[in-house]
Amino acid sequence: MFQGLTFEPFALPPEAEALRSEVREFLADSLDASVLPNSDFNAGDSAEFSRALGKKGWIGITWPKIYGGLEKSFFERYVITEELLAAGAPVGCHWIADRQTGPLFLKFGTEKQRQEFLPQIIRGECFFSIGMSEPDTGSDLASIKSTAMKTEGGWVLNGSKIWTSYAHTNHYMVALVRTEPASENRHAGMSQFIVDLGNENVSVTGIKNLSGEEDFNQVFFDDVFIPDDMVVGKPGNGWEQVISELGYERSGPERFLSAFRVLVEFSREISEDADAYQLALLGRLMAHLVTLRRMSISVAGMLEQGDMPITEAALIKDLGNTYERLVPEVVRLANLKNPSSRFIDTLNQCILHAPSFTLRGGTREILKGVIARGLGLR
Amino acid sequence: MNEQQRLIKESLDRLLSDLCSKTTIDKAEKGEFPGELWHALADTGLVLAGLPEDLGGAGGDLADSLFVVREAAKFAAPVPLAEHFLAAVLWSGRGETVREGIMTFAEGDFRLSDNDQLSGTAPAVAFGRWSDTVTLIATRNNEDFLCGVPISEFRVEEANNIAGEPRDALSINLVLNKSQYLGGEPIKRKAYLIGAATRVALMAGALESILEMSVVYSTERVQFGKPIAKFQAIQQQLATMAGEVAASLRAAQSLETKFESMTELEVAIGKSRVGEAVGICTDIAHQVHGAMGYTMEHSLNQRTRRLWAWREEYGSEQEWEIAIGQFFSGNASEKLWDQVTFLN
Ligand SMILES: Cc1cc2nc3c(=O)[nH]c(=O)nc-3n(C[C@H](O)[C@H](O)[C@H](O)COP(=O)(O)OP(=O)(O)OC[C@H]3O[C@@H](n4cnc5c(N)ncnc54)[C@H](O)[C@@H]3O)c2cc1C
Repeated sequence: MFQGLTFEPFALPPEAEALRSEVREFLADSLDASVLPNSDFNAGDSAEFSRALGKKGWIGITWPKIYGGLEKSFFERYVITEELLAAGAPVGCHWIADRQTGPLFLKFGTEKQRQEFLPQIIRGECFFSIGMSEPDTGSDLASIKSTAMKTEGGWVLNGSKIWTSYAHTNHYMVALVRTEPASENRHAGMSQFIVDLGNENVSVTGIKNLSGEEDFNQVFFDDVFIPDDMVVGKPGNGWEQVISELGYERSGPERFLSAFRVLVEFSREISEDADAYQLALLGRLMAHLVTLRRMSISVAGMLEQGDMPITEAALIKDLGNTYERLVPEVVRLANLKNPSSRFIDTLNQCILHAPSFTLRGGTREILKGVIARGLGLR
Repeated sequence: MNEQQRLIKESLDRLLSDLCSKTTIDKAEKGEFPGELWHALADTGLVLAGLPEDLGGAGGDLADSLFVVREAAKFAAPVPLAEHFLAAVLWSGRGETVREGIMTFAEGDFRLSDNDQLSGTAPAVAFGRWSDTVTLIATRNNEDFLCGVPISEFRVEEANNIAGEPRDALSINLVLNKSQYLGGEPIKRKAYLIGAATRVALMAGALESILEMSVVYSTERVQFGKPIAKFQAIQQQLATMAGEVAASLRAAQSLETKFESMTELEVAIGKSRVGEAVGICTDIAHQVHGAMGYTMEHSLNQRTRRLWAWREEYGSEQEWEIAIGQFFSGNASEKLWDQVTFLN
């Protein structure tokens, strides 16, 4: 029987809206006006900013109080994340730890790991990278070749990870590696490890992206010793654990807001005197944005109810990433007479970052495959 | 979907599966009014779902009415549910009892003179010839008057849209009696907004239905020794369509839940977003169905032709996009986000 995908309306509760005003006040005070805001979560980082956010209690806000969290709802987390992105805040440092490393530890980590890492993450003092992709492994994640061999009291890690965002500034990486040779069951025999990026046997080399920034890296492991207590969850259970992060990883506002500052600058350009064509371009993009946001809030509602909406999250990411790429393509055709340099810079930054939107976190094609499975086609 | 809507959906599905076959729709497109279908819908109260009981409605929430319109569109039901509802909402909104019989709404240009002479035309009135009364808005000195006039008083020039739905040209020149009109409230724009909202509901329903048809067809049609659903190119297209349909449904639900406080902006967002999805989804649905979908014999076209017609009614995407653009550009740009977050 055919099952469509629906996103039942959820309204943000009043406490989430109340928090929104607080976040705005904080942002008004703490953003550096000399930096051009960018809504791409991968396009700016400031440890100082993340620490200030941590002081407010706005990292790991849904986590249990015993670790320093506030046990707030996913709606409140949603509001914080969308406010940060819309303002173009430099969120790169804490983003991954807040979004998925913390939830991973809560679900699969040991009590010791939770006690050690969650409070630091919450304070905005401990940042994590994702270690999945490798030089020969992108979409086909099960094909990873990095290995960890059991040794006395721990594991010895060898191999390399690539495209690792902020590995040069973050403290740790959660790396998915093979702990048993590949077998008939491709998804068996993988494990997740907490790797200290400061370890002397770990080296990190920056890679320049299209805009010339070095925010992702290649990371090399050369006989890196990982103590037993840095294994996340059960050895061999890595695949299941990685998959469990996807609902968080794919449904949030960072999947459709990356180009938002372009809209801000565009509306500024046409605020005095807009022709019908320009208004229609803005209107079309805003209609998409409002609808995507509502769908993403619906997923926050599903998460709040304890569901893990993997297909819905893939659908939002695909639809949202397509939209993010559409924004600069539409806005550039607006026929602005005398665009300001601020507008041009914002648009160009977006154009240079745009190819990554439909790659990172699962490519467009992979997401559509997940949706097709949800439709019962495969 | 709440409990009330689940019940509505159940009885609607049952009724339409019985009485709204492909043949019923074909006959309607050839000019035969599907009386049995309409009367069954009327007998169960579904045609007045959501309207206040004390004014002759079936009770419930106005959101339910748009929900009925959306669900019925999955079956391409060739009856004036949307127009009947639009007319009923306008009358009941003024505290008037809903009229007997089939109502339609004439979006057009009508004037009411000082001596109550109603004159004017409407170019494409949905199901005009099959209605009993026509609701319309006439103006006199910038004041709107809600008028209800028997169809027999109009000159009717029959015409159809590309989906074979009656869209008749109506004209009138008639002195009304006082019981036939009601002034005192600006209502013309409101009627246009509700009209557009019904198109959003209709399109969202039909879109959901062509997604289902396409998914099912792709699992049944075999080429190169396997169901075409197994080809990645087909899967990717259907996944794209699923995204557009999910967005459309979400947009339609927004209008339903906010019906009582529906704003110009909300309608504009719905109509432009869902209208845009129509082009993408009908393209994919037809591609997946191959030549079979390009025939009158297959029922896909009963939905796709309606979608192409409905997206043009009550303003194309561009008309509404300009309205949205006006709303957002008028604000200082730093307020842009602020404005977005007001729209829960
Ligand atoms: C800015 C940025 C930051 C990133 N940060 C991180 C990070 O911090 N940590 C990390 O681990 N990774 C990171 N990545 C890597 C990201 O996860 C990969 O780019 C992604 O998984 C795709 O892998 P790939 O680039 O090797 O492309 P490939 O998998 O080689 O794909 C190339 C093309 O082939 C298509 N393709 C592949 N397989 C199929 C298939 N089965 N069917 C149809 N088409 C297919 C893809 O869709 C794509 O279009 C980052 C990437 C970017 C761009």
